[in-house]
Amino acid sequence: MSETIPTTSDSSSLDSISKVQSTIQALSHIVTVVPPSLSSSPNPSLALLHDPQITSQISSLLRQPNSGAGDNNLCRWLYDTFQSSDPNLQLVVLRFIPIIAGVYLSRVLRKHLAGFEAVLLALYAHETTSRAGQAITVNVPDLSHSSIYHETKAPLKKDDTEQNLAVVSPSLEPHGTVRSSRRARIVGVALELYYSKISQMPVGSKVDFCEFCVVWAGQNGDMYKEGGVQEKGISGTTESEKEREVNEGRIPLPWELLQPVLRILGHCLMGPTKNKELSEAASAACRSLYARSLHDIDPKAILATESLLRLGKLELQSNNDFDPTDIPKSHLITL
Amino acid sequence: MVQMLRSRSTTDSEGELSVGEVRANGLCMKTTEVEAKLDEGNIEEAESSLREGLSLNFEEARALLGRLEYQRGNVEGALRVFDGIDLQAAIQRLQPSFSERLHPRKGRSRIESLITVSQHAAGLVLEAIYLKAKSLQKLGRLTEAAHECKSVLDAVERIFHHGIPNVQVDSKLQETVSQAVELFPELWKQAGCYHEAMSAYRRALLSQWNLDNDCCARIQKGFAVFLLYSGVEAAPPSLAVQMDGSYVPRNNLEEAILLLMILMKKIYLGKTKWDPSVMEHLTFALSLCSQTSVLAKQLEEVMPGVFHRVDRWITLALCYSGAGQNSTSLNLLRKSLHKHERPDDLMALLLAAKICSEDSLLAAEGVGYAQRAISNTQGTDHHFKGVGLRMLGLCLAKQSKASLSDAERARLQSEALKKLNEAVPFERDNLDLIFELGVQYAEHRNLNVALRYAKRFIDATGGSISKGWRLLVMILSAQQRFSEAEAVTDAALNVTAKWEQGPLLRLKAKLKISESLPMDAIETFCSLLALAQAQRKSLGPRPSVHQVDDDRVNEFEVWYGVATLYSSLSHWRDAEICLGKARELKEYSVELLHAEGVKFEGHGQIQEALAAYINALLLDPGYVPCKILIGALLLKMGSKAFPVVRSLLSDALRIEPTNRMAWYYLGMAHRDDGRIADATDCFQAASILEESDPIESFSSIL
Repeated sequence: MSETIPTTSDSSSLDSISKVQSTIQALSHIVTVVPPSLSSSPNPSLALLHDPQITSQISSLLRQPNSGAGDNNLCRWLYDTFQSSDPNLQLVVLRFIPIIAGVYLSRVLRKHLAGFEAVLLALYAHETTSRAGQAITVNVPDLSHSSIYHETKAPLKKDDTEQNLAVVSPSLEPHGTVRSSRRARIVGVALELYYSKISQMPVGSKVDFCEFCVVWAGQNGDMYKEGGVQEKGISGTTESEKEREVNEGRIPLPWELLQPVLRILGHCLMGPTKNKELSEAASAACRSLYARSLHDIDPKAILATESLLRLGKLELQSNNDFDPTDIPKSHLITL
Repeated sequence: MVQMLRSRSTTDSEGELSVGEVRANGLCMKTTEVEAKLDEGNIEEAESSLREGLSLNFEEARALLGRLEYQRGNVEGALRVFDGIDLQAAIQRLQPSFSERLHPRKGRSRIESLITVSQHAAGLVLEAIYLKAKSLQKLGRLTEAAHECKSVLDAVERIFHHGIPNVQVDSKLQETVSQAVELFPELWKQAGCYHEAMSAYRRALLSQWNLDNDCCARIQKGFAVFLLYSGVEAAPPSLAVQMDGSYVPRNNLEEAILLLMILMKKIYLGKTKWDPSVMEHLTFALSLCSQTSVLAKQLEEVMPGVFHRVDRWITLALCYSGAGQNSTSLNLLRKSLHKHERPDDLMALLLAAKICSEDSLLAAEGVGYAQRAISNTQGTDHHFKGVGLRMLGLCLAKQSKASLSDAERARLQSEALKKLNEAVPFERDNLDLIFELGVQYAEHRNLNVALRYAKRFIDATGGSISKGWRLLVMILSAQQRFSEAEAVTDAALNVTAKWEQGPLLRLKAKLKISESLPMDAIETFCSLLALAQAQRKSLGPRPSVHQVDDDRVNEFEVWYGVATLYSSLSHWRDAEICLGKARELKEYSVELLHAEGVKFEGHGQIQEALAAYINALLLDPGYVPCKILIGALLLKMGSKAFPVVRSLLSDALRIEPTNRMAWYYLGMAHRDDGRIADATDCFQAASILEESDPIESFSSIL
């Protein structure tokens, strides 16, 4: 399966290449090893996005206990890279949003994390500008109005009765700092931006995201595994330790944060490119979030997570061999 | 005359299948000989033996060979065979014969036969191209496959100018067309070319291909799933397909929901068979938009027999509760928890308990649900025990509000605290529980413990949740620590975005009043009004029906607050102006009648004041402040009114047991009646309460 490769064929490509080169140059002062193949690659920003060596170095730096401070070099690099306004370089920053958001939300209560906040605010500001602060709404269809997909083309009902207008993402006001009451919203908007580019994100980034969902939920969802809990209590201590670790990162999950999380999870579970590791991680995340929403008795969250869980199961049960576009096989061909 | 038939009955489970026989023109031959030649790589020889054996022309023989190879699983071989045919030239040749059908005056039978012959030829060529696309797909050459598939569709569109008519189409040709229409978007999707896939889906669904219901449903579902989960935003459909007055989706979610609803409708109409995943996708999409009431409507339309009725009731209950229609939700839960249905369903029990915990008249029922839930948390559901205990605690606390006797109220309150504390070991990290404990202790006037919980909640949420700050301010105000309360309010305002500062500003104004700083309070009220106006400008005049804005400043409340402040200072003119403003927003309200009564009383118009208070009680019989004021007025009218006064004040205390003014006037009534001991008790209660009176009632925050 091939990924889409954005081609840099326009005249501005030279400018963009020099931007990428200086970004890679700056990165070489932060991580220990920068593979030389990166600069010589025909599309260095894409190579940067997918390079496993660079990714693992940046990831482990982001996960270090002292990461995310205001004077952190890596955060500065991420901030500058995003501000370069080169869309391909911005993808590189977005690739790390799961880890940044994950570490940030789980740790912000104990620490001041100005570095992470700067990156998140940059994303928030970008989204605010590109949407002109406007809310994203959905006009929920009503089948009594004719639509482009109706079989009968005659308008069924002329009078325009009220339609259900739903706000998917409320309007955005500019924020210069992360006020704690807006924290969930700012991270949520950063995740909305991540979701809008998710088809270009490497699998590893999505897996990181799913793993943090389990931490945020703070709830073990193994009892919702297909066939229940099989290997229950292999060793009591490790299980409770795992539980403990999971619980420590538990955070409040208001809808403004949970909604973009669920959209991303939907992609990870049901998206067009199938990947075993990803769908396992996404299923685990769904199970945990389902358990959490039951503990919170949050009806909307229960409905959404439960439908994802069921879809995951239906996917497993479905007969993948059947292909309706294949010709029927027969012993006899008759012309 | 050649015609194609096919037997579907024999499909091997072993995957690729060997073809036994080929038949054409009434002739028949075994494939073993042809296959042997193909295996040797002699395509020409295989072809000529087919031509001789079945009297076929070159293209027919090639198409047959290709199909033979494809079906044997030798897709590379099939590709070699198809490459030998100039399919584009064949397509070119097809067109003129079809245009003849546009001249209707010619002999009917001649045209019909012409059409059938041409359709057969077309079917043969198109199937060949289609199988070429399939072969390329199987070899992973997806972009090439998509281009081949596209040429099938282009050819069909050129041949049939006005879409495929649903009569007179060779079934074989139609089958190839349908398959190609379905395969095309799939190929782009597999190739990772998502934008091409989008337009391929639209082309499949918006042109006339005469697809059968199942095929069309599969494509619609495929597109809906792609729109929902691909993460690629589709461009809006082209203007060409948009019709006047018809609904045109503007984004992925709208389009996906539309398609899924159409699919659901097809299922009810029996046009296509039930597919559980359609409902799940729709559930996911509609809950993401918080439109669970629309989802409820969809669920109600599902034919009986698809879902178990209890499952349907519980899902409907979730939908209605998610849409804020809790009483409908509770009715459904009562049905599903009936002893003949599913009385032990944990989720239903917990949701029912939660809904009941919000209404003091239902709380006793909720206690029952919570207790049943707790007794059902065994085995893998053990982790729900804490949730059950928490709900039990909340229901008991709410139930205490409606209890008639002091003794029962005290018992329920301490029981509630006990259950909430029992929940803690299970739900150690549940911040809601910490908050609720804070509120319960505060209501119990155990202010020091309450303070600890409030602080813990703020620490654990990083101050991100405004109600935590509000609780802390209220507890501090109850402890008469006004300056600290003010400092906390300022800290909270500092971390709260402008938009959500309303409730905090309101508290601040009340703090200022308690500190006897009326001018500061009025200043705070002014900033509240400014905020209210800014919100009105950007959000529209009224809050939307479906989405509640918690952050929105209640302008009426602000005007009423200022009016009360002015009248307490005996600035009657200013008070009147503010009341006028409030009246513009809400014409009939107990608060306004209350304020009017206070004004009359201030002017010494006792009868008018009494009338206003009584009107307020007619509007809301449970409105405590007016009960107290009437009591206070009647008290001055002499001993004959004492029994009425006592009953009014006792009633007020039943509703608000911690209302110090009620205790105070009850004390007065006892004193005037000569019952000094009772009076002392009441005054004592009033004085204790005054020392622990918050600026807003604690229960207002839950």
